[in-house]
Amino acid sequence: MTTHWCDMQNTDVILNIGSNSVENHPVSSKWLHKAHDKGAKWMVVDPRYTRTAEQADIYCPIRSGTDIAFYGGLYNYIITNLIEPGLAEYTRTGKNPSNYNFEYLINYTNASYILMEEYEFDPETGLFSGWNEESESYDAHSWHYETEEEVPWDTSVTGAYNWSVAEGVPEFEKPVLTVPKKDATLQNERCVYQKFKEHYSRYDMDTVCKVCGMDKEDLELVYSTWATSCAPGKAGTILYALGQTQHTYGAQNTRAMSVLQLLSGNIGVPGGGVCALRGEPNVQGATDMGMLVNEQPAYLKWSNTTDRDTLAHWLESQTYSDGYYTNKPKFMISQLKEFYGDNATVKNDYGYDWWPKVPSHDGSDWSEMSSFEKMKEGTMKGYYAWGMNPCHSAPNTGNVRRSMAHLDWAVTIDQVITETASFWDAPDMNAEEIGTTCYFLPCALIYEKPGTILNSGRWIQWRQQAVEPWDEAKPDYEICDLLWREIVRLYKEEGGVATDPILKLKWDYYLDGKIDPRPVSWALNGYALEGSDWKSGFKSDAKGEKLTSGSINLLSGYANLAADGSTACGMWIYSGFYSNNEAPVSAESQPVYGRDNTDYGGLGLYNKWAYSWPDNRRVIYNRASADMNGQPWNKDKCLVKWDKKAKAWLTGKTADGFDNPDFVASKSATDPKTGVVTTTAIEPNNKAFFMLWEQNGRLESYGMVDGPLPEHFEPFETPMSENLLNGRLNSPCFLGRPETAGKKRKGTQYVDDSTRHATVDEYPYVATTYSVTEHWQTGAQTRACPALVEAMPGDMIEMSRELAKEKGIQTGDKIRVWNRRASVVVTAVVTPRLRPLTVNGKTQHQIGLTHHYSWSKLFGLTTHGAVNDLTPNVGDPNSQTPEYKAFLVNIEKTTV
Amino acid sequence: MTEMAILFDSSRCTGCRGCQVACKCWNDLPSEPTAENPYDSVNWDDKFTHPADLNSCTRLIMTFNDFESESSQKRVGWAFSRRACQHCTNAGCVNICPAGALRKDEDTGMVTYDQDKCIGCQNCSAACPFDVPRYEDRGGKTVINKCSGCVDRVAHGMMPACVTTCQPGALQFGERDAMIELAHERLAFLQDHGYQDACVYGESEMDGLHVIQVLKHGMDAHGAVKDPQIPAAAFLSGIMKPVTAVGAGATVLGLAAMFGLAHGYKRDTLVYNDGTGDTISLESGQVTKQGNGPDERTVVESMTENLPEKVKDKLPASLAQGKKGGDDDE
Repeated sequence: MTTHWCDMQNTDVILNIGSNSVENHPVSSKWLHKAHDKGAKWMVVDPRYTRTAEQADIYCPIRSGTDIAFYGGLYNYIITNLIEPGLAEYTRTGKNPSNYNFEYLINYTNASYILMEEYEFDPETGLFSGWNEESESYDAHSWHYETEEEVPWDTSVTGAYNWSVAEGVPEFEKPVLTVPKKDATLQNERCVYQKFKEHYSRYDMDTVCKVCGMDKEDLELVYSTWATSCAPGKAGTILYALGQTQHTYGAQNTRAMSVLQLLSGNIGVPGGGVCALRGEPNVQGATDMGMLVNEQPAYLKWSNTTDRDTLAHWLESQTYSDGYYTNKPKFMISQLKEFYGDNATVKNDYGYDWWPKVPSHDGSDWSEMSSFEKMKEGTMKGYYAWGMNPCHSAPNTGNVRRSMAHLDWAVTIDQVITETASFWDAPDMNAEEIGTTCYFLPCALIYEKPGTILNSGRWIQWRQQAVEPWDEAKPDYEICDLLWREIVRLYKEEGGVATDPILKLKWDYYLDGKIDPRPVSWALNGYALEGSDWKSGFKSDAKGEKLTSGSINLLSGYANLAADGSTACGMWIYSGFYSNNEAPVSAESQPVYGRDNTDYGGLGLYNKWAYSWPDNRRVIYNRASADMNGQPWNKDKCLVKWDKKAKAWLTGKTADGFDNPDFVASKSATDPKTGVVTTTAIEPNNKAFFMLWEQNGRLESYGMVDGPLPEHFEPFETPMSENLLNGRLNSPCFLGRPETAGKKRKGTQYVDDSTRHATVDEYPYVATTYSVTEHWQTGAQTRACPALVEAMPGDMIEMSRELAKEKGIQTGDKIRVWNRRASVVVTAVVTPRLRPLTVNGKTQHQIGLTHHYSWSKLFGLTTHGAVNDLTPNVGDPNSQTPEYKAFLVNIEKTTV
Repeated sequence: MTEMAILFDSSRCTGCRGCQVACKCWNDLPSEPTAENPYDSVNWDDKFTHPADLNSCTRLIMTFNDFESESSQKRVGWAFSRRACQHCTNAGCVNICPAGALRKDEDTGMVTYDQDKCIGCQNCSAACPFDVPRYEDRGGKTVINKCSGCVDRVAHGMMPACVTTCQPGALQFGERDAMIELAHERLAFLQDHGYQDACVYGESEMDGLHVIQVLKHGMDAHGAVKDPQIPAAAFLSGIMKPVTAVGAGATVLGLAAMFGLAHGYKRDTLVYNDGTGDTISLESGQVTKQGNGPDERTVVESMTENLPEKVKDKLPASLAQGKKGGDDDE
């Protein structure tokens, strides 16, 4: 999230949409209640009345999968009611009215940028400009800005980019800044604001109600309440989770929220932000660490076979022309140095070519969902399920286990025998016909090993081991080490194809002779090669503070990283978290151990509790919390401030109670003659989003594969026969979409036998899935706890009283739920918390399914298949996230 | 003694059942499927409540009640309620316990007990207006199991297990007066937010409970017992009291218990029919005591004739002045 949990107390309007935070993220309730106690309005927009809705003041039901229609209507509401009435007056006077923050919109977002002439959206076809009928994909060229002037990098001796031509830095073509054309009056018809206004003019409240199945009074109340957060000095926060992301346009949903927060002036301010509530305690950490198919650690892109096939191409395609990502070469070279150590030199492109490359030339997809298609094709023959349980959690789990049966071998690393570990044992599988060799490696639970954990608010903290691992279980890093050493032994002794990527790798994270998370932390934090000795073998002193053998020269932060091979760093965003050279062996002496829970400043920043990446910033984009003169929009909620008298920024770097600046607050220069470093403050400017090259937030963005503005489309399986907002039913490029007849599309293909599309005439009910607080995901941990099984003893189908009456169903009845993919039996819970919606004039029922139980032999007797047998294996084309949250089923009472 | 209390603020409760699980963990209570709690067959209660009620190994549950409501914009409400011992000041269970197993904790006022002293007579069940006591089978002998107020933890400066685990702060523990004050502060907030049925419960009920509750949706929605009284039938059960009370020594007490067990003695659960004045056995359905005889004494007087004076003194006023026996009454 752009902010952190404790900041929720500072908000004026809470919007839970696609999240059930008090239930699935219980810690949120504490901070939300604080805000509510202070007078914040709390709203929940959700297909069902959740435990969170019970806390809220306002509840508005929504048809699953129609969030973009809801947001589009809200943009339209803000434009019509707040922006248009005040824009002319603001342009004339330059003074904000009391109800809307024009200064933010015009200076900190790209509202004023002029788009290219070719930019277009056609409501008839539902397509933006740049659509290629042949490849069925977009070329984003026309979504860019018009250029005012071009400014090349100054690489001269006194230039800002002199470092990029230093010795040891690989050669690459330097970026050129294309300064965009702008119109600060927002009147140019091709400026982002005008295009945006035109785009969402179709999203009037009546249409939104028809699409979303909403009551207009409820919707108007939600919109008008949200609008109060648009006033300067006020804040609104959006809490979202998988209800937003798990759609064939999930990434556009997420963008839609970012756009809303930019339009509302709520990013970077206390109590604002876009809050992604991560599903597991360390899922944010897993994302950071590059457990992604397209990104390596710290959000740097993996190498591929097209625009990132060489190091020079990587640097040219990834380095921004302006803003902080001009430093990407430093992050990249330092990471390569950590991967390959002394083997990485400027002559061999720091070992870049040893990296595995994503085969982007053939458009194939290697994400989780597509893995199972590849198993069926025979291209994927072995599989590690490490800390995940796809036979329970992946969409269309029947397809998953049938696919896994094609594998030569499967390794499951988990705490208990999960469905994945025993996929051959599912009720509909015949083990005799499966030739896969299955291995199970028991691993330690988080409390059984020391290390770090990272929460949704980007706070990373060191934890001590509480208990010894059970039986033969080992920490993941130890399992990894054992595997690695054996693989290396085999490569050394027997050779093989491409031995260098294996044998050149640096793997020396041992302390006192054992694999240890502390040397890993040094590598993640980054160190100067000068003063670091990894060769002698690390040994700690008796106190467990200093090294008696080997040495490490930790960097104080990523500002010290270099692109010339003199620094190594596995994870630039964490740099600084483990930086105390006085006691490198002692995790307790490091910033990451922070356990001072003093609330300096009273805004809940808790700067000395844990470490918040990057650079211990608690609220990112915090420059936007202050106006163009650096003065906070709300004087009682100050994160950073320009001290006019002292001509300096007040930030967490200089004073307690402030946040560390997420912008360039000062610059340093070294006198080449004397070596004296002088630091001068940078006066307030409009560069509030310095992680983008434009340094302004993007209302319109060319960064998505499926369109520059969020546009409403229906889910893969929809009760609608038409899209009420444009001429195209489904998103044009979602992952797993059926192939158009007569066309050959590049990339991984999903055949209908895999996805098994269901239609509304046979499957009339919209289904969505969710978790309950008593259980955690596939239940591998919680179904091992009898008290939790007792508290929520099985999966359920929740339905309205109206639907139950129609079908003769009562609470406790066994219900068969089926579609073309599968049939499962769950228990009925009939409740007024779900209600029939009127969608485009017709009654539409929605049902909800929990997904915690399955056949694996944990507590709780369940013989039915996993609920995810029903969910479709299609997903978002940007993030490859599956569409669990909206699909079609039929139901009937059963006696089984 | 400082009167202590648990505050349950249903408006901050998120229904996570963490308290329920913490209670099981601290008190080492099993969650094995039993006949009365067959959770593995997925025995869904209408209101989402698991287990469906307190049982021999469950001292605390959260109950869930969802309902339509035309009074609010949300048009639906979901009442999360705490179901466990309320720790009465005028605790019928303590008064009726023939074995001295149930007692008021001297430090806090909580109603706690000693399972080793329990003789399994189950009289306390009849004396509880909240239907709280349950019984655990200990090899032929049943002993009481209910919320103990975690007096063991409190004595060591800790809070009750359920309170410790409550993430949103819906459960608090402190001096009873302070808890009542907090409850009223919250009540004002709720009334201000349109919850007109909201109320504070436990301030005066049973001369004051040691669980103070803020009921966001009012007593009905939360299933709170209105004007709780010691059930009249309890005073019948009290017949046993003099027998055991005479034998003040532990030996006699033990013998009495063994006597009861050896002869397979088990007292039926008795209920009092207010309409007829009859006392009926729930097990057999038989009227065990006619309530309509021509009698100058009130029904209550008839029922309580064998009770010791100190118990009679503690009768609620409404019962003590109860109506006379007989059909012709009024």
